[in-house]
Amino acid sequence: MGATDFIGAREDPSAPDVAALIPMVRRVIGARVADPTTAEDLVQETLVRVLTAAPRVEPGMLEPYAIVTARNVVTSLWRQQDRDRRNQHRVVDLSPPDAPDDDMLAREEQEAVAAALARLTDRERDTLVAHEVSGQDTRSLAEELGSTAGAVAAQLNRTRARLRVEYLLVRENVEPPTDRCRPVLLALSGGDRRRQREVDAGRHLLECEVCARLSPPLMERTQSRDDELRIPIAVDADVVAARQAARELASRLGFARTELTLIATAVSEVTRNIVRFAGAGEVVVELLDQPRAGVRITARDTGPGIPDVQAALADGYSTYNGLGLGLPGARRLMDEFAVVSESGRGTTVTMTKWCDAR
Amino acid sequence: MTGPKLVSILRQGDWLIASIHTALDDSQMLLFRNDLVEQIGRHRSRGVVIDVAALDVLDSFGANTLRTIAEMARLRGAETVIVGIQPDVAFAMVSLGMDTGDVPTALDLEEGLAYLGRPTGARSRGRRDAAG
Repeated sequence: MGATDFIGAREDPSAPDVAALIPMVRRVIGARVADPTTAEDLVQETLVRVLTAAPRVEPGMLEPYAIVTARNVVTSLWRQQDRDRRNQHRVVDLSPPDAPDDDMLAREEQEAVAAALARLTDRERDTLVAHEVSGQDTRSLAEELGSTAGAVAAQLNRTRARLRVEYLLVRENVEPPTDRCRPVLLALSGGDRRRQREVDAGRHLLECEVCARLSPPLMERTQSRDDELRIPIAVDADVVAARQAARELASRLGFARTELTLIATAVSEVTRNIVRFAGAGEVVVELLDQPRAGVRITARDTGPGIPDVQAALADGYSTYNGLGLGLPGARRLMDEFAVVSESGRGTTVTMTKWCDAR
Repeated sequence: MTGPKLVSILRQGDWLIASIHTALDDSQMLLFRNDLVEQIGRHRSRGVVIDVAALDVLDSFGANTLRTIAEMARLRGAETVIVGIQPDVAFAMVSLGMDTGDVPTALDLEEGLAYLGRPTGARSRGRRDAAG
């Protein structure tokens, strides 16, 4: 090594020969430190210390001195590493850095809300802003508007539902493709199930791609209802998932085990028809308490439809190599059963089992 | 397929004992059918017991598949007994208008094996006439 040669070359003859110590120092440190570059650093540090101390060390004692120095240098390295390890967690900055697009997203968000607000009527907007931003309560709003607090609250709810829909439309930058889209999205946003049935929201979502894409955030708000399950159907395994979900949900009503199996079997039959003939659809299982406790299963698809529903409900009608027991069998298992099918648009099977029916 | 086994097919002398351990969907049911028929040939089995106690539902497809298995097994020279149909599943099958055709059934595995081992059948060629 050039540097050590240099040191050696500068030695006057009377001074101790530090260069001669190098192999030994290397050995001492190499035995304790695995990383060759770190080891070489330590060797150099040891030599510097030995050189500084050489005039004070008794001749002949330089070698033991170098060994002890080398050990000390290694020990202090270990200590330092240990301290670093112990304190490492202190230097970690856990707060995430601001993403460069945060600002942009926030601005887009703001613009979308503003645009959505602009689409409300003046009265809707004023009431909403007075309530949400200025914190005016519904009673005083009702007095100003010559209405009741309940009516104002209901109006506010409808406005919020509309705002959610308009916000989504603005943010996704789409116009609803059909004139059915808005009413459906509104019904979903408001969580009004009667209204959803009136506009046949489930079927529309299967048919309209735009609404299917927009609806999940709207439905999430109402999905928290625990007496309704929605199972998308596409493959064989979904048939099992649907019938088990139906059994699970219905078991809460106190159906007997036998009836639960009847329900599961019926779900299995109608769901299989979706996989076989339509390819995709959904099954909705909901618990009813009006007029009696019961479970209603709605199986929808967007398949080719059933050309002759009456024939399909007769025993032995089969268009594939089956027994033709699917629909008529399911009908026998349930208390109420209805099939609506439109050629080219799909089929909806609605069936109900009442809990106290024997 | 990962996870626990859905079905098991065990050999017991001349017989195969096929147990379904969980709810099967249609394609799993067909895999089970093919596997079983293949094993009948491999083990030169004379009888098959299918234990369906763990099936949650025997709908038209499930029941039809069992009938097909029994018929395929018969063509391969093995007799099939279905065991373990639960009371609620049986009730649903009757309500649905389903049956297992002329496939014999037994209450449980013990009865099923006893049926296969019965002296009258003796798994001879004339067995079906004798049983009928």
